[in-house]
Amino acid sequence: MTSSFVGHTGALLRKDLVAEWRSKERLSPMVFFVLLVLLVYNFGFELGGAALWEIGAGVLWSSFVFASLFGLQRTFTAETANDCLDALLVAPIPRASLYLAKMVGNLVFLLLVETITLPLFGLFFNLTPGWYLLSLPVVFLLGSACVSSVGTLFAAMAGHSRLREFFLPLLVLPILIPALISCVEATALILEGAAPGRSGLWWPEEMTVHIAMLGVYCLVFTTLSLMLFDFVIEE
Amino acid sequence: MDVRFEAVTKQFGPTMALDGVDLRLNAGEHVLLAGANGAGKSTLLRLLTGLTGPSTGQVRIDGQDPRQSEAVRQHIGLLSHQILLYENLTAFENLSFFAQLYGLDLNIESTLQRVGLGAQAHFLVGGFSRGMKQRLALARATLHEPQLLLLDEPFTGLDRRAAHQLGQELTQRARQPDTMSVLVTHNVTEAAQIATRVVLLRRGRVVHEQGWQHDRASQELQDLCDRHLED
Repeated sequence: MTSSFVGHTGALLRKDLVAEWRSKERLSPMVFFVLLVLLVYNFGFELGGAALWEIGAGVLWSSFVFASLFGLQRTFTAETANDCLDALLVAPIPRASLYLAKMVGNLVFLLLVETITLPLFGLFFNLTPGWYLLSLPVVFLLGSACVSSVGTLFAAMAGHSRLREFFLPLLVLPILIPALISCVEATALILEGAAPGRSGLWWPEEMTVHIAMLGVYCLVFTTLSLMLFDFVIEE
Repeated sequence: MDVRFEAVTKQFGPTMALDGVDLRLNAGEHVLLAGANGAGKSTLLRLLTGLTGPSTGQVRIDGQDPRQSEAVRQHIGLLSHQILLYENLTAFENLSFFAQLYGLDLNIESTLQRVGLGAQAHFLVGGFSRGMKQRLALARATLHEPQLLLLDEPFTGLDRRAAHQLGQELTQRARQPDTMSVLVTHNVTEAAQIATRVVLLRRGRVVHEQGWQHDRASQELQDLCDRHLED
């Protein structure tokens, strides 16, 4: 049972990754959006120096979250075209495996966008490389998992609606607020390591509470989504 | 396989799509569901696939709810007027993907050759003609040798030749033992060759049902439908 669940999830995820590799219809707008936001902030605020650790975390997370909405809105587009979702729901697979595959897919796309754009953020905003940045991937992994977990469930709900572009942000963003606060706080603590006179610890002590919050949030919402997905995806 | 509808109703807002349907379909039967648009044919088929549930009543396949039972869905195949295939994957990738979902270890190349798509195995489905897509869709729907094949307007959009070719393939399948199918179509010519039983629906109710022999003319089937379904 467990191995077939993993096998089905893997097959669904692989299918989505192959399709995305060919079309780039999710990644391209996400990357361009983040780049655009970074450029605008770069020219608008002359970041670097003090501004970097004051608003850098907010710039990063607001651009990632809004970019993720582009990807989330297309989560089930491939399935609704040609009614492919019907074929998946008739297949003898647990529907939770469809949720998990879509959630992991969204996580992979968001992490890819972050990996591509983070070096550019560093370049635009004169971020000094150092050991203090080592914990950044942990924050981005957990934060992105929270966004994907909640976003995938609501993308399935909004997928039935013709106004999904309108509904999805309305549903997702308010629920993401607690996770986003932790993401911004934790990232700001890390970026403070670049401030003059700061030791730049690789794991600032105050960050633990935010990481724990993100871990619990992700666990709770993923579990809830796995339980609710059957009801959400049915007509 | 034993299929039962017990006092099934299905309501969409104020619209009653099915209104107290009692129906029993037996193993080996190939049932034509006929009726005007909005009679409830496709809704009845969707209830069988487990894609939706009844508002009241029960739908049971071998005593189980198809929505809840993966074991039941393992034996259901669905061929629709929509191809249910991914256009940005190749024919090979599409069939491999569905084979994985059904836990099958198949020679996909030979499956594609059997439906005449061997040479196009590694072409994107988006570039296929409607007829090629529907042949691939049939290969997908029958990949796991389903005992119950559900056919929802499978001839829609096909020219006469392609529809006849698909009809022949479905007829051939219907002659195999231990198979069962439920066909929804307005193509009476092909339906007359496949069906062994006719169920006529009108405004969500079964208004007539009877057995059918393949050697009877399709015009007789058309007359039967007209007699019972005209307002």
